Amino acid sequence: MALPDHPFERFAAAQRPGLEGELRRALPETSPDTLARAVSDAVLSPGKRFRPLVALAAGELASAPAETARAVAVATEFVHAASLVLDDLPSMDDARRRRGRPALHVVHGTATAELVAVLLVARAFELVGGAEGASPATRTRLTRELAQAVEACCSGQGDDLAARPDALRLEDLESIHARKTGALFVAAVRGGAIGGGAREAELEALTRFARNLGLAFQITDDLLDLEGDAEVMGKDRAREGHRANFARLLGAESSRRLVEELSAAAVEALGPLGRRGRVLADLARVVRERRA
Amino acid sequence: MIGAPPVALDEARRRLRELGYLDGRVDRFLFRRAFEGRGGLFLPAVVLSAFAAALASTAAVESSEAGFGASLAAVAVLFVHLFLADLVPAALAALVASKLADRARAPGALAAAAALAAAGAVVALWVGGVWSLVRNLPARALLWGVPIAAAAFVAATAVRGGVLARAYAHSRVLPSRRRSRFALASAALLVLAGALTLLGLRGEAVPAPPPKPSPRSGAVVVIAVDGFSDGTEAEAGRDLADLFAAAATGWWPAHPASPPEIWTDLATGEPPESHGVRALERVRPRFSPAAVRAPLGTSWYLRRVGPALGLVRGAPVSASDRRRLAFWEVAASAGLPAQAVGWWASGAWPGAEVVSNEELLAGARDGLGADRRARDLFRRAVGGERIRTVYLPGLDILRGQPEARRAALAETASFLIEEIRAARTRGDAVVVLAASSHPAAASLGRMLVFDGAERKTVRIREEDVAPSILARAGIPVSRDLAGRPVDALFAPGALDAETVPTYGARVAPRETRRSTDREYLEKLRSLGYLN
Repeated sequence: MALPDHPFERFAAAQRPGLEGELRRALPETSPDTLARAVSDAVLSPGKRFRPLVALAAGELASAPAETARAVAVATEFVHAASLVLDDLPSMDDARRRRGRPALHVVHGTATAELVAVLLVARAFELVGGAEGASPATRTRLTRELAQAVEACCSGQGDDLAARPDALRLEDLESIHARKTGALFVAAVRGGAIGGGAREAELEALTRFARNLGLAFQITDDLLDLEGDAEVMGKDRAREGHRANFARLLGAESSRRLVEELSAAAVEALGPLGRRGRVLADLARVVRERRA
Repeated sequence: MIGAPPVALDEARRRLRELGYLDGRVDRFLFRRAFEGRGGLFLPAVVLSAFAAALASTAAVESSEAGFGASLAAVAVLFVHLFLADLVPAALAALVASKLADRARAPGALAAAAALAAAGAVVALWVGGVWSLVRNLPARALLWGVPIAAAAFVAATAVRGGVLARAYAHSRVLPSRRRSRFALASAALLVLAGALTLLGLRGEAVPAPPPKPSPRSGAVVVIAVDGFSDGTEAEAGRDLADLFAAAATGWWPAHPASPPEIWTDLATGEPPESHGVRALERVRPRFSPAAVRAPLGTSWYLRRVGPALGLVRGAPVSASDRRRLAFWEVAASAGLPAQAVGWWASGAWPGAEVVSNEELLAGARDGLGADRRARDLFRRAVGGERIRTVYLPGLDILRGQPEARRAALAETASFLIEEIRAARTRGDAVVVLAASSHPAAASLGRMLVFDGAERKTVRIREEDVAPSILARAGIPVSRDLAGRPVDALFAPGALDAETVPTYGARVAPRETRRSTDREYLEKLRSLGYLN
């Protein structure tokens, strides 16, 4: 029996070693050692690396210079890692575990964790602002895209903290997650493509893809929060039961249906890109089938 | 454990769409199914293609059948029949397309090709359907081009989406689709422009100028006797046999065909594929108030499957089926008075006194009565006609009734002898067409000419009959006819040697029916035609 064709997994397997190396090389140089170790722990702990891989795939489809795509990918992952560190803080979700390990603030303390987040965000902007292979205009645009994503993350987190889970409407939940998680996903896809000088029509298609898939990703996340195996997830579920959640709002079955439909809509959005979109299209399948 | 969700799935979909998610267009439905591994990817293509094909065929009928469009019920019923019928070939085509999509190395190109084929087929059904039914196309028929082009485009889009989704479901690889929408739209426009140009350039849309007859004395009397095979004159008695033996005779091998087809070959000088009269019956879809001819691409259903399933009934042949002029119509168009009685697929014609087959049979109880009525009507000619003709169906109707046939034959023989002698006395030429709609093996059709030519027998074609009659009547023969005048059968120099390029299209006046299809069909059935 022939093996199924899974372009994203092939792409990820090819890119991951280089990406891990790049993440390591791009870590901000800092002192004292405890802070440097904390930064390293925050970034290099095992993760799925969806966002940087998506940025690299978008860069490839837009024929972006490899250095530019890598800069966008690493910057995106740094911002994501920073957001996780902040999210786990006692003042926020107060999570004790992340990526199968004790949360960063549990190991290094809250103050250090806060510094790590700031350092990573700063380093992310430094990377895109000086991305090799990109023109000054492209660098400026990449910086603006990333800044908008960070702003959206912050405002989404703010709303999430202020929200009363039992009073949230679907629109509120979407608004929170579109900013808190979706915005960075969109920035990763758009950033990779902008690095290659993608046309507006292509960026629009990629944005549609990222928005639909980002929401599918979040709903899957929420389903896993409620039904997944905590050990496999590597997350602390103690606080998850108190947060507003798509799966709780829609029901498990409807949530699964919506994940499928959003994934299909994401694939359909890539239509104008033709075969160049095959890796990202396969990512939709990965999101739909993910169990952790 | 999750309790009852506060937001239902459909509600969530609606609200997410408002927020800009699930925002795909036509392909969303297909790709969602493909993504989920579900079937039915070609369902929209099958339905929309059948819709477009049915629309094209219905448009062809509406454009070519005078008065058909006046009945919206007739149009709607025909459309529904054709739509349901077209689902079958559309499904088969979809099956083929799905197999090709599974194996396609370039699904984008295959999808574009399949879409073009679908659009082309729809336009071909329209153009070919109109072409197969009528040559005098009304200008308003072109207005159908707009909805047909739209339907063809929608069908093509659905076919393309189906192929792409199937290919994607099979390979999980998105095919290249850049610029294909533009290419598809351009191709559809080109096809449409071609169709419009083709229709607009049809030279036969108007009749040609009438031929100018040469000044000539004497008329031509044409007596057509159905069921009169070679040798029948011997049964009729010595007088007729002797008379026939003295005639100049052209013969052709008889072949089985419907009476309207054979006798319209003789009347027009054209083969059936040109004159359009094939069978006794038209078709009437169930619940339709109007009968139609089956346009290109619909015969398999309207003439075969539909009747077998009881969904389509027959309707009798009529003059509007005939696309070429009969010889008496040519004469009348040339300004020469003419008379025609009883011919198949005949009808009112300006300048001619025509009694249609339907009118003839309506007043007859049997074959004997039909012949008597035909002869009676024939003798009521006002006088001065350049061409007079009568069709006698009695012997054919009575072929299974020996006694009645003998009586009919005796009356026919007397009539022939009397008319031939009277005409020769007047100096008119007489042409007797003796043929059988139900020929025995190796029997012949014959044209016996009484015009002073020496006795001889020559082989001719059925199509030579009408041009010979016209040339003898002093009317220039159209060069685009399949047949040619046979000089050898007429007195030397009796045939007009002039020709014209064409007689043009048969632009028929609106048919005035004196009975319903059912009455005419029942009459034909009672006389043994449709058993």
